[in-house]
Amino acid sequence: MAVCSSVPISDLLDRASQGSDKLHALSTTISQDLNSHFPPIGRVIMPRPSMCHTSSLQTPSDKQQALQVSESDLLSLARSLLQAWSDPLLMGPAAQTISLLPFSGGNDIGQDRISQLINFNFLLSCFRRDSHKIDSFLKVLRCRATKTQPQMC
Amino acid sequence: MGCGAMMKSVMEVLLLLMLFFTAHAKEKSYSPPEKPTQTRCRSPEKETFTCWWEPGSDGGLPTTYALYYCKENSETVYECPDYHTAGENSCFFNKNDTSIWVNYNISVVATNALGRAFSDPVDIDVVYIVEPNPPEKLTVAVMEDKGWPFLLVSWEPPHKADTRSGWITLIYELRVRLEEEEDWEMHHAGQQKMFNIFSLRSGGKYLVEVRCKPDHGFWSEWSSTSYVKVPDYFHREKSMWILVAVFSAFIFLILTWLLHMNSHSLKHCILPPVPGPKIKGFDKQLLKNGNSDEIFSALVVPNFPPASTSKYEEMLVEYLEVYVLEEQELMLEESKDLLDGCLKSENSRSDSDSGRGSCDSHTLLMDKCGETKEEERQTNRESSLIETQGWKEEAINHDTSGRVKTWPSVYSPLPQYGSNPLDKQSSLETAKQHSLSTSSFLTQAGTKDALGPSYTDFCFSNKQNHLHPQTLAHRELQTRSDVNISNIGRKRSPATEYVEVQRVNKEDMVLLQPVVSRCGHIEGCPNLPKGEDYSKVKGVDCDNRLLLQREGTGEDVCPLVDQETNGEGGNCYTSSTVSTTQKPTACMYTSMPLQEETALTLNGYVDTATMSNLPSC
Repeated sequence: MAVCSSVPISDLLDRASQGSDKLHALSTTISQDLNSHFPPIGRVIMPRPSMCHTSSLQTPSDKQQALQVSESDLLSLARSLLQAWSDPLLMGPAAQTISLLPFSGGNDIGQDRISQLINFNFLLSCFRRDSHKIDSFLKVLRCRATKTQPQMC
Repeated sequence: MGCGAMMKSVMEVLLLLMLFFTAHAKEKSYSPPEKPTQTRCRSPEKETFTCWWEPGSDGGLPTTYALYYCKENSETVYECPDYHTAGENSCFFNKNDTSIWVNYNISVVATNALGRAFSDPVDIDVVYIVEPNPPEKLTVAVMEDKGWPFLLVSWEPPHKADTRSGWITLIYELRVRLEEEEDWEMHHAGQQKMFNIFSLRSGGKYLVEVRCKPDHGFWSEWSSTSYVKVPDYFHREKSMWILVAVFSAFIFLILTWLLHMNSHSLKHCILPPVPGPKIKGFDKQLLKNGNSDEIFSALVVPNFPPASTSKYEEMLVEYLEVYVLEEQELMLEESKDLLDGCLKSENSRSDSDSGRGSCDSHTLLMDKCGETKEEERQTNRESSLIETQGWKEEAINHDTSGRVKTWPSVYSPLPQYGSNPLDKQSSLETAKQHSLSTSSFLTQAGTKDALGPSYTDFCFSNKQNHLHPQTLAHRELQTRSDVNISNIGRKRSPATEYVEVQRVNKEDMVLLQPVVSRCGHIEGCPNLPKGEDYSKVKGVDCDNRLLLQREGTGEDVCPLVDQETNGEGGNCYTSSTVSTTQKPTACMYTSMPLQEETALTLNGYVDTATMSNLPSC
């Protein structure tokens, strides 16, 4: 039986934040790429869906709130968000899966092409935000874990 | 109804009201304001944000601008809380009004007396519009690393950005350039707040600036420029190089000089010379000069070949050989050596009596037959009194041993002996010489096997040359051997045969007969004549006869006395009958009384000086 050598939490958080950073960067690139295909006018008149499927998750809305959240809560929030986005399209109306997270409605892209595009664009925007949240939470946690290495923050 | 639709309905109502009011306005070329343009919104620390707009033309009338916004999923329209903090045409949202991860819908409305203008609405999320302030407290210092300078640049994040809690993560970038240049040198610093710049120009003035960016945001502006001057270290560097160059040039010169000085030895070391001939005493310079005499004289080793005059003379042989041929030719060979031997007394061990020409080893001959020869000389001397005719033949002959024999042209004399033995005193000495020289003897010399047993040697003096031919002409000794030789001719030339004096006839001729006896008595010299075969000349009697005398002179001599001669002229001749085979052991020692006071030298020769005392008839 192999013995696992302990890895410092700071290193783990550092590695995680690096991953989340890349994730958000990718989401941003995709969203901007997709928006460039729409004429500017179309963006304006585009109907906006109600809410992201992860909006039921209570996340801090400003810095003060975020810094007041405990590390464990921050970590669980990050983990929940990540889980929500593992397979977002499953969260459709047809999906009646039992999950721990409260979701309001599902993500239904639609049947016609325009609505599909609109819905997909919205979905990407939600993903971009949530990836940013994950990245932010992890980086706050990383900074809190490396008290001895202030250069990490 | 969403936030945007609400905004639109409000705008339309207001517009109608304005149109109603402007209907009563003066007839001017006034126009309603142009639509303002929203330029941007930025948040420096992700806590507050500011929006700026660009107003359009105002239409000649005072125009007011208003910003309205609403938040995501809320239909409440809010107006900008702060138009002044951020400056003209801006709206500042403070922390209380700022919510993150929330979409804002913002519109700007320009209003003048004639109309209103709405800008395009903008959706923003605060976390996406983060643009921090430039880094602060930028410091640049010139540091030294092993004698080479570098710039140490350090800074601090903008004070508003909360990087310590990790709320904002900033990465930095700095740029450097020389004062006189235009292109910047970019350096990415990551999350660190200090940086080192190398490869500086000595004495250059540098400009350094730094900026920052959040992990997902916009780059900040460049910080304020920091100036730095690098001290002049090139001066020292250049002088060092000059020193190095001078030193190496100096060393190079020394090496060249050393090489030049030792070029010769180096050449020998690298290219060893080809060894030349080493002959002792051989001088190359002489060879080059072309004087061969000097060269070879240098090569000559002194004392080689060993040459002593005595030996040299001994080796130089001149023979007088008597060849017995069928044609009855007689060849005489003169032996210088014999002559000298005759002249010398005891010193001469030369085999003057022996048949030298046919004997290769004179010395051997002499040693072995010396005694015998002496006796024979004596005998021959006496016989020389008898007139014999000298041979005046000159011929060059080669004996079997290959020697060239020269025949002396002169020949022999003996004035004293013979008919007129007593001449004048003056000629006595010459006569003495002559007697010696003219003593002819017949000897049997030991020869090699190649030579025949019959051999006749005549001993002629060298000094014959000095003799006056006139005085001696009548004294010529003549030897006729034709009669006797005929008996002898057993062997043909070049073989030589020994003859012995048989008798002297009345005509003053020596009759010769071949000697058959062999000298086996003498060691190593089988052909040496036995003592009995030879007779010494005792004297010449009154009848011109050779008085032969035998005398034992040594151990090796075994004289066999056949006859005794007395000075009174008994038997004037002795004939020795010798058997062909004489036993060597038969050695009888007989001493013959000397007749009178015949002065005999040690070697048995008759002293001619006393010959005059001989009784004469």
